[in-house]
Formats: sequence, C-alpha cells, structure tokens
Amino acid sequence: MSAVITTSSPASHPAPDLALPSPSAVLRDLQLNYGSQPVLMGLNWQLLPGQVVGLLGRNGAGKTSLLEALLGLRETQAGSVHLFGQPVAQLDDACRARIGYVPQQSDLFDGFTANQLLAYFRSFYPRWNEAKVEGLMARWDIPRDKPIAKLSGGQQQRLSIIRALAHEPDLLVLDEPVASLDPAGRRDFLRELVEQVLDRGTTVVFSTHILSDLERVAFNVAFMAEGRIALQAPLDELIDEVRALSGPTAALQGLIASDGLKVLSRRPLESGRERCLVRSVQGMSGLPPSVLSEALNLEDLFMELT
Amino acid sequence: MSPDDFFRINTGSTEPIYRQLVEQVRRRVAGGQLTAGQELPSVRELAQALAVHPMTISKAYSLLEAEGLLERRRGLAMRVAPQFSRAQSSASRVELLRPTLGRAAAEARQLELPTAKVLQLFEQILNEGAAE
Repeated sequence: MSAVITTSSPASHPAPDLALPSPSAVLRDLQLNYGSQPVLMGLNWQLLPGQVVGLLGRNGAGKTSLLEALLGLRETQAGSVHLFGQPVAQLDDACRARIGYVPQQSDLFDGFTANQLLAYFRSFYPRWNEAKVEGLMARWDIPRDKPIAKLSGGQQQRLSIIRALAHEPDLLVLDEPVASLDPAGRRDFLRELVEQVLDRGTTVVFSTHILSDLERVAFNVAFMAEGRIALQAPLDELIDEVRALSGPTAALQGLIASDGLKVLSRRPLESGRERCLVRSVQGMSGLPPSVLSEALNLEDLFMELT
Repeated sequence: MSPDDFFRINTGSTEPIYRQLVEQVRRRVAGGQLTAGQELPSVRELAQALAVHPMTISKAYSLLEAEGLLERRRGLAMRVAPQFSRAQSSASRVELLRPTLGRAAAEARQLELPTAKVLQLFEQILNEGAAE
C-alpha cells in the first residue's frame, strides 16, 4: 500500500503559507539506479501550486519511477525530494493527507467492495468530501457491493481516481490515470480535474500517452529524456515559439546566431544540411530562402524532445 | 449559449487552444453571430464544458479584451464591445481567411497543383458545408 495513506492519527491543518506560494514539490539532483542501470540522472524539478503539469516521455523513460520517487515510494541513491517544504521521508501526517495518488497499477484491495474500501480510507483522513464521493460513484456507475476484483479495468481505475480525490488533496499525482477509460470516461475525468483546479487550486502532475487529453488540461508540459526533465514550459508557449528549421548548416547557424534562437535539438540531414529545433520568444526575422520553417504540434514536440 | 456548441477545440493542432478560441470569437464577431452586448460564457463554464485548463480560457479572453473585442465588467460576464453592432463588410471578413488560405496555398505549391484544381476543391468543400 502506498506511503501516502499511512497516516493514522487525526491531523491538524498546517499553518497558512506566507504570501509567496512555495512550491508543492521540489526535486533536487535526484539519482535513481536499478542495479547498474541509471533511471534518474541528477533530475531537478519543481511543481508550483495550481499548476497542472503533463509528464511526457517514451516508454521506459522512467516516468513511473520519477512519480514514485516524488512520493517517497522509491529509495533514491542521491538528491532530495521535498513536498510542501518537508523532506519526503519525514512527512508529517498533515502533509501526507494533502497528497492524492492514482498509481498505474491498481493498488486497491481486491477482496474489498468499493464501499468497504472507501470506508477504510475515510478513517485515515481529517478531511473527506462525502458529497463528491457519492456524486462520482453515481455518475461513474461503480458497483458498490461487488468485490473490487470483479470490477472492470475502467471501473477500478475510476474507483482509484475517486479514492485519490475524496480527501481533497493539494497535490494530485496521476500515473497513466485514463489508460483503461473510453473517450467519454476520459473527458469526464478531465472535467473533474478542471473542477479541482477551479475550486481548490490543486497542483496536478500526470503522465499519459494520450496527448489530446494532456493538451486540454495540462497548462504546462514536462518532457523527460535521459533521466532528466529536458524541458518544462507552458504548452501554448512551446507551440507558439518552437519551430523546426531545416536547411544548410551554415545558413541555420547564421540565423540562430543573428536571431538569438535557443536550440533545443539538432539532427544532421544529408549533404551538409541539418534539422534544428529552435525556440524563439521574439519571433524570427526573415528566413533565408534556403531554410524551411515548420510549426509543430504536441505530438511533433513529443517526437523531437523525448 | 451553450459553450460546447459554440467553441470547437482541435487537439493535435499547430495552433494552441487559446488562439483557436481567440480566432473563433473574432470570426463570429466579424460575421455578426456575436454582436454588441452579447455575453460570453464565464471562464469557469467554458473550462468545464471544454475540459480545458482555466488559464487557457483566461488567456484567450484577456487577449480579446486587449484587442477591444470584449469588455470585462467587474463580477459580470465578458461581453462583446458596443461598437460591434453588426457584421463587418464581406471585404473585411474575407481578410480573416487570409492566414488559413495562405497556408493552404503554400501546401498546394509544394504539391505542385494547378490553380484551377485547387479552386475546384475549395469550391466543392464550401458547397459540402452549405448542404449540411
């Protein structure tokens, strides 16, 4: 069972924060190896209150490991994780109660019914939004008295989401939360996320390969590659500012220097040409005729940056 | 006005969602479907209806406000500014199509298509839309 629900004593709410919002999560120089295989390599990351961050990376890039390390569920070799200002290994009960987690693999108790499961979790948390739970259970059509093992994959995933939202977390971590949901179920889940953000300013981080979902709700996207967060930025800024330029290397380098473009990636093409991914906040001056510039969508960015 | 009838979002586009919203309001004001005083859905309503992050909606509304198309009133819904009492002339409306058609023209040139062929297709697409 996950560490975030092990609180057992009634917890009081933490003192109100200072005027400046402090980050919900700060990860510094995080190193995680599986045997000799490095997964996180000096990873730095920060999540600010109210941000909805979509975590993108190829299969095997370490997204699940990263989310588990963020929650203190994985022992790391070096670096630090702080949640709400506290080291993740020593979170007090009040802090634990501010976290909600939907793991990729269902960790619900198979022998329980949904009603038993929710009653069990309710006893751990100082806050529990029964109206929300009841509303979602009815709307998402989850059988209450059937053993969880007998529910469909989609129903189990929905129940896992309800469990994670019930105690109104300030930080919600979702690892592939919609993989078993149909498009209608996914849309409804996204609406629920938007409502969390509207009503509570919840910090949300979620990983998914369904880019259309991410594009709607993730104002920020984080691309994971080579054990690090290679880039995090508001998605609309990336779509506005990033261009794929291809042309003769000399012409490209000239343009990059004269316009002060930030190069995100480079790939050689045939006969002295290359393709560069550049980001320009100011926009570009005229393009030399030998250089082709293409706008990118989220899928293109994923292909280029992960 | 039901927000999800009114706004369409295309994911997977090279046009970010906030700009899609801005362009849709611009076109509807220019075409006279949205006129002076008409209210737009609140950020909350639209964010929920479209399942889009509220900051994306605020960003679109702020740009439209800065442009003078929409007016913000304290505690009330955004509404179309008073000077937009009727549709713009077709001459200025057609200009709004220029960027989209410019992109189509660039693609047509890459495909080395003759002008007549491209126009024929565009005409066909326009007629299909009218028949619906």
